[in-house]
Amino acid sequence: MSRAPLNDLHVAVHAKGVAAAYAARMLRGMGAHVVWVEPAGGTPLRSEPPFLPGEAQVSALFAYLAAGTTSQTCDLQGEEGRAAFGALLSQCDILFDDTPLAERMALGVDEAAIAARHPDLIHVSVLPFGATGEKAQWKGEEINIQHASGEGYLLPNGLSVEQFPDRPPVKIHGHFAEMQGGIAAALGALAALRARGLHGGQVGGQYVDISCQDAMLSVGAFAIQRFGDGSVEHRVERSFRYGGVLPCADGFVELLTLEQRQWDGLVELLGRPSWALDPALADSLERSRRGPELNRHIRAWAAVRKVEDIVREGQKLSVPLAKYNSPAEVLRDEHEKVRGLFQPVEVPGAGSLDMLVSPIQFDGRASRL
Amino acid sequence: MTRPLQGIRIADFTVHNAGPFCTNLLSQLGAEVIKIESAMRPDAFRKPHPVYGRMGPATFDQVASTKLSVRINLKLPEGVALAKRIVAVSDVAAESFRPGVLDRLGLGYDVLRQVKQDIVLLAVSSSGQYGPDKHFAGYAPLFGAWGGLSDLTGYEDGPPVEMRHVMDHTVGMNAAVAVLAALHRRDATGLGALVDVSAREVASSLLGEALLLAAAGGEPKRMSNDHPRMAPHGVYPAAGEDQWLSIAVANDSEWQALAGIIGVDDPRFAHEATRHELRRELDLLVSRWTATRPADAAAEQLQAAGIAAHASWNTVSLTSDKHLRTRRALVTVQEPDGKERAAVGVPMRLSKGADIGIDRGTPKLGEHEDYVYGELLGMSSAERKSLEAAEVIF
Repeated sequence: MSRAPLNDLHVAVHAKGVAAAYAARMLRGMGAHVVWVEPAGGTPLRSEPPFLPGEAQVSALFAYLAAGTTSQTCDLQGEEGRAAFGALLSQCDILFDDTPLAERMALGVDEAAIAARHPDLIHVSVLPFGATGEKAQWKGEEINIQHASGEGYLLPNGLSVEQFPDRPPVKIHGHFAEMQGGIAAALGALAALRARGLHGGQVGGQYVDISCQDAMLSVGAFAIQRFGDGSVEHRVERSFRYGGVLPCADGFVELLTLEQRQWDGLVELLGRPSWALDPALADSLERSRRGPELNRHIRAWAAVRKVEDIVREGQKLSVPLAKYNSPAEVLRDEHEKVRGLFQPVEVPGAGSLDMLVSPIQFDGRASRL
Repeated sequence: MTRPLQGIRIADFTVHNAGPFCTNLLSQLGAEVIKIESAMRPDAFRKPHPVYGRMGPATFDQVASTKLSVRINLKLPEGVALAKRIVAVSDVAAESFRPGVLDRLGLGYDVLRQVKQDIVLLAVSSSGQYGPDKHFAGYAPLFGAWGGLSDLTGYEDGPPVEMRHVMDHTVGMNAAVAVLAALHRRDATGLGALVDVSAREVASSLLGEALLLAAAGGEPKRMSNDHPRMAPHGVYPAAGEDQWLSIAVANDSEWQALAGIIGVDDPRFAHEATRHELRRELDLLVSRWTATRPADAAAEQLQAAGIAAHASWNTVSLTSDKHLRTRRALVTVQEPDGKERAAVGVPMRLSKGADIGIDRGTPKLGEHEDYVYGELLGMSSAERKSLEAAEVIF
């Protein structure tokens, strides 16, 4: 088995934001051919921080999002540019576009215009709140999407909210919610592509409407289910009763034991202290009730030990424990080296850098750009 | 109308959250998903987990909806043989055991390929199917910790922050994309696939720009709610207890609009770079305005002026929102016992697939055995009774 799964697909992306760009990037990581459609000055993503070290102001964000793609300049406000764009689309299977609704007709990228000219194209609209519904025209940056979907209200939790209970909620790093929009867009694109081949190909292309808010809400499904069960989740109460973020002598580890055997392993890891051998703690409900007491013991134990030692010995006992890795530590991680998660990629203006290509492997091999 | 995955069948061995969320998304897109459990070892998420401080099951209802349920005791060779019969009539097999478990059960990829030559096997795990840490046990908070996402999330002077179920579910959504990619190749070439999704690598993929920065010698750090360019940018107090408003000003013209609304006339803030330097001072000015206003009303006012803003919503606000209901991002599902609950739909709208989404609620364990064993596998009543008596269907 040799070919990347999507190496017969041709994708165009016309994007100012992360979500649509990430959709194309995901498909690129699985082998698709991706062409950026950019105005003469380039997409604004090219000048979005963070920048790589050096004076060239190379956007790390754009370098990651556009890795392995090509670019075609098209001025969609002019006849010539639109003709070139149309010619490109005639060769493409999928278009990802995040043009705000109010600007689409003027650029010829509205649903009707695209469908009329390219009936077999999968046209994926990617917007903060989608292309239909009363908020379709609303603006939404990453932080707004996280809060519009509920997860923003629920962070931080655990040790962080314990230490800073009165601070405003804090967002997940980077572009998490926009990337969920991108992943949903990639899913929608491939689903529509599959539909295109059904019924002898009679379904044809279609319009896929993606909302980053919907996508982020979707991955936050747990809180919605809890609401159905009668609970309104809150960041202060959503901490694990014991375990969670443990400060150690040289960093932090995460501990989460859900199964009885994992608790048993933890007791072994702790050296079978007398408090942990209390027969009442064999009952998971009792452990939950006495969570703060347990955590005092566990934290005191962890505080004088090194992260690597705790994780290594704990995982031997099948206790779910993980080191809180910094980005530099992820890059150096032996496991990821073996798996080829990072590969040298030529970044214009910055040279060859190790870059994460794809978190998904097919046929036992890391994906290549 | 066409469900995109009509005609696709999935033998679903996944448990917990990430894998089941993947197959739930695929079921909402039209795949027939057969969830395989046993009374001896039901999905751990059918059970309550007191470590969460509550006694109800976790997300089982959400991720099990629209699936079919059968019982198979995989501890017995006859159970393994029965599982193979389901795989033989499936396009995809999905699992989320620790690497090696499926092989030990006698259902590894090489075996399944003999059962169904072009099978797509999705394997979701904490650290992937190979590598020195492949045996590591893990859940969502551990994926975020390993992958670097949690280290960069939090107050700049505080500890890292645990990722919760959003981490599991984004792994599941990534996996769903991967399955469709593998099916695309299968349709074109006849090749099956082993799809290896490592949850910690999915976490890392969501900070690809920070990892690239680190690779170039930079040092990405926790930034609280700051943005590296925009200011004001943050979560500001609104009227009422624990009410908040998120605001992001993307450029100078948006700042001019905001300054007019909140009554700030200070030329120092005209340009973005200076605003960013003075962002703490700005935050106080913005907070002074937001603190006396209901968050939703303030968001509407700011949006009307072209400024990205949204209230920080809890599940009460989310489940009553007209926009999300219109889009069917949030739906009401009726459970077999007649109770109704809110659930999330598949996050997309298709112009030629309006009927995608949740068909039905949580299946009872073994609820669909008449269809799967009787109709699909053509099993006689006598054979079924025999397998039940032998605790194979159990």
